[in-house]
Formats: sequence, structure tokens, C-alpha cells
Amino acid sequence: MTAPTRRRPAAGEAHRLLPPAVLFAVTVGLCAMVLIPLLYIVLASLNTDLGVASGEFWPSTFSLDSYTRIWTTADLSTGLLNSMLVCTFVAIASAVLGTMTAYVLVRYTFVGRITILRGLVGMQSIPGTLMLLPVFVLYSSAGNYLGVAVVGTRWGLFLAYLTFALPFSTWVMVTYLRGLPRELEEAGRMDGASTVRILFRIIVPLSLPAIVVSGIFAFLLGWNDVLFASVLTRPETQTAAVALSIFGATQEGGAIPVYSQVMAAALVTAAPVVILYLVFQRYLVGGLTAGGVK
Amino acid sequence: MTDDGTTTTLAERGEDTAAAPGHRERRRRGVTEQQRPLWMLIPGGLLMTLIIIIPLLLAVYISLIDLDQYTLRRWLEAPFIGLDNFVEAFQSGLPNSIWISVSFAVLSTAATVPFGIAAAVATQNAYRGRSLVRAVFLIPYVLPSFVVATVWRTMLQPDGIVNNLLAKANVDGGLWLSGPKSYWTLILVEIWAAWPFIYLMALAGLQSVDGEVHEASAIDGANWWPKLTHVILPYLRGPVLLACLLATLNHINNFTLPFVLFGAPAPDDVNVMPMIVYVTSFQSLRFGLSAAMAIVSLLIIAIPLFVYLRALRLDVHEEGGRK
Repeated sequence: MTAPTRRRPAAGEAHRLLPPAVLFAVTVGLCAMVLIPLLYIVLASLNTDLGVASGEFWPSTFSLDSYTRIWTTADLSTGLLNSMLVCTFVAIASAVLGTMTAYVLVRYTFVGRITILRGLVGMQSIPGTLMLLPVFVLYSSAGNYLGVAVVGTRWGLFLAYLTFALPFSTWVMVTYLRGLPRELEEAGRMDGASTVRILFRIIVPLSLPAIVVSGIFAFLLGWNDVLFASVLTRPETQTAAVALSIFGATQEGGAIPVYSQVMAAALVTAAPVVILYLVFQRYLVGGLTAGGVK
Repeated sequence: MTDDGTTTTLAERGEDTAAAPGHRERRRRGVTEQQRPLWMLIPGGLLMTLIIIIPLLLAVYISLIDLDQYTLRRWLEAPFIGLDNFVEAFQSGLPNSIWISVSFAVLSTAATVPFGIAAAVATQNAYRGRSLVRAVFLIPYVLPSFVVATVWRTMLQPDGIVNNLLAKANVDGGLWLSGPKSYWTLILVEIWAAWPFIYLMALAGLQSVDGEVHEASAIDGANWWPKLTHVILPYLRGPVLLACLLATLNHINNFTLPFVLFGAPAPDDVNVMPMIVYVTSFQSLRFGLSAAMAIVSLLIIAIPLFVYLRALRLDVHEEGGRK
């Protein structure tokens, strides 16, 4: 009876990669590298603008002033609202279309299938700057030739975000669906269920976590974009990313730079992303490497 | 009801086998291949053609015409000038930008590898609080690039916290965001933000090491360092090389970090390819020239991308064919 209990710690010892001292040093070093700047950001956001400007690391007075003042000094509420609106629609559209496309790509053979799969990966590596230019020209010519204003609208931004969100979501679904056993659908097909029925009754319920992940990644790609939003939006339609970048850049060189408010605004715009990660952490970490592209 | 269902299926099968050449293979695969719902590709495929393929072709065309703010209103009538834009691109700042981009990407990737591997090895064995440490390691990667860039920009101001702390140690920090040091600032911030990607990929690689490997080397009495470098790390070569390839692509394509960190136009030392393309089109309004530059940068990216696509298993019909 004692033999197995004695062997277990021995096996654990064999699996140990680092001696405790090295493990401790590496962990503390890496955590410090991440957490010290982060601690400063949080402390600075709880400081006063004056305190940050005088170079304090630890605030002499703690206050939530910066968090209340950013709503008037920076145009954050418009930005957050626009980002939320555009990115939610991007997420839904990418997840739905991505699932449909990925299902056919995984389950059926047809001419050009491998080319499409290769294209899906390739598309994710196209530089955004290369896509933005023709999109901008097309959008502005829609204004010039057709009299439809697209530049500066939210739906224009929505379409532009789909250029990178859709291939990514489709690829996430391809990597998930090909691990799903085929037998489940064949049972449904024996019963004479149509493809659409099989998709909605069998595939969608089984792959719901992956569909949610593909949607969240589409949301994050949109939320994190500065490039497209900086060109394709007007002040009324600008996203949180653009609002923060402008706020951060224009606060320098003034009499009293409002660094504390910049830090508070940065944390507020990062909050939705951090919350999404905390809630869906288990599913998202796998997806971070699935497509390989952030 | 059931009768109707079967007749349509049979009819479709008849059509399908008569039309398609790969008939024998299809029969082997059984019922799944009888009705291929290829129409489901149409919404996604049409949209991707419309918003990706057509703009890409248009970008190629724009690179061949003389398009600027005057001709933009009637761009279909803009003069065709052949490869003049490409010639001008190579005579202007583009070669310098290519050098900056490529060296920045390679240096950043090389510098993140030791951090990523160390983090993966350190969190491989379970201990109390490990999940917390793992969550901390992901923070820089999870934070949006524009947030990372904004906070570092604030911290690296001439009168910012970094210089204040350095002054206490009697070191003159100087200017981080302009002049020659800006190049190293860009690399340092990129390392801070991007190393967890290598960590994640290395972690996936470590999971594939068999328990027997550990036990065998334990019996040999191998010390931790030789065991790590000779037994464990060879398992990581594949995943980490793949991670390096992807990380390099991401570094080359990174627009947000230099744009938010330094603003546009960027200082000469950090005028990476995405920045020069952006400034040429949306500040100098030379759209044709900028499209030519963008296409050159795509060709440079195509080299690592091609290697990646060759390495990636795409034949997803094989079950369990995940990379």
C-alpha cells in the first residue's frame, strides 16, 4: 500500500524541469517585468495630474478624479459607444459567415478547396496598410460617383473590419470543426435531415464555444484597430482606439500634462478586452495560437 | 414526408455521380458527400471577394497609375504610368524603411524567444499559484496595442517616470521618442508586448514531451541544465520556429505600435514600412506611390509567409490533422 504513494512524489521530482531557486528567480523576474509598469499605470491613474507630472511613483494623494474627468476632457464615451457598436456587428457577422464557410470547407471536397484554405491563412498576413488604400479609394469614389457617403460612417468601418475579421474567424472555425467527429452528422443524415438542419441542430450546438471564440476574436481585432479607424472615421464616428491615441498625443508639452488622465483613459479602453479575456480565458488561450495572428 | 426526402436524395445522387469525375472516392466516403451544400460558401465567399480580392486587385492597379489628391475624385481617368511609382519608391525612403522593418522584426523576435521559453519552462510543473502566474504572463499580450503604446509613450516622455527613476540612479535617460534611440525604444516596447506569444507556442510544445522522457533522464541522473538543453529543448524546436516565423510577420506588419508611440510622420529611425506607406498615402496624398510601396512590402512578407504555408498542414480531410 505504501509503495504507490511513495513513488508518486518521485515521479513528480523527475518531471521537474527547474530547481526551485531557478524557478523562483525566473518567475519573479518575468512577473516584475510585466507588473512593475502595470502597477505604475494603475497608481498614476489614481494619482492627480500634478502628482504624476512631479514624477511620483507612489501617489501622495489617492483620488478617483482622473476617472471622472476623462469623460469631459477626452471624447471617450462617443469612442467607446462606436467601438462597441461596430465591433459587435463585426463579431456576429464574422462568426455566422465564418461557421458556414468553414463547415463546407472542412466537410466537403471540391475543386479549389486547398487554394481557399491557403488563401484564408494568407489573407491574415496582408498588411493592413495595403488593404486600407484601395478600400479608401473605393469608399471615396462611392461618394464621388454614386453620391453615397461611406467614408466616416460606422457601416463603412464595419465592412472594412470584415476584411481581416472574416478570414480569421473562418480559420478559427476550420481548425475547430475538423476535430469534430463525422459520425454525429452521419446519424442525422441517415434520418434524412437536410444540411441546414444538421448544421443548426448538430454542428452549431456542438461547436458553440468555438463560435463564441471566433466572434470574440473578430470583436477584438476591430477593437484594437487604429489604422482603419484613423482614416475612415469622422470625430462623431471615431472609435475608442482613435480617441485614446489622439488624447494621449495631444496632452504633451502643455503647461500641466494630464498624464494621470491618459493612464485612466487607457485603462478604461482596455477594460472591455480584459473582461472578455477573464470571462472566456479557458477558451481564448487556445485560440490565441490557432490562427497564429493576433 | 420520408418518401419525399429519399427521392430527392436519390435524384441528387444520380445527378452528382453523373457530373463529377471523382465518383469512386465519393462513394467510398458514403452519405456525407451526396449533397454538397456548396451554396453555403456563397455569402462568405462573395463577401470576401468583394472586400478583399477586389481591393487587392485595385491596389495593384493603383500602383500603376499616377493617383494623388487631384486625380482622386476621378481616379478612373488618372494617367497610367507603368512602373514609374516603383522606380520612385526605390529612389525615395523605401529601401531604408525595408531595412528598418526587417531588422526591427528579426531583433524583436530573437529577443523574445528566451523570455518565452523561460516562461513556458517555469510554468510547466504545477505549483500553488501557477494559474495566477500564467494569467500575469498573458497580460502584455492581451492589452490592446494602442493601450500599450499610449502608456509607454507617457512613461517615456522626457519628464516621464522612466527618466525620473533613471535620474535617481544618476543616469540621464535623454530622449526616448525621437532621435536614434527611438529605434531601440520601439524594439523594447515590442519585446514587452509580444513575448507571451512565444511563451504560448512553447507551452504547447512542452505538452508534447512524454513523461517517459523525463523519467529516462532522471534515471540517467542528468542535472537540470543538461537535461533542459539536451532533452527538453529539442522538443521545442518545431513549435518555437513556427512561432518565430509568425512573430516576425506580426512585427513587420505592426502599424499601431510605431504610429501611436511616435505619431505620424515617424522619426527617420523608426520609419518602418507600414508607417512610410501610411504617411505617403494619407499625409503626402501620393496614393499611387504608396500603393507601389505597399505591394513591395507584401512581396517581402510573402517570403516568410510562403515558408509558413508550406509548413502548415492544410489537408483537413484527414481527421486529427491539426498542426
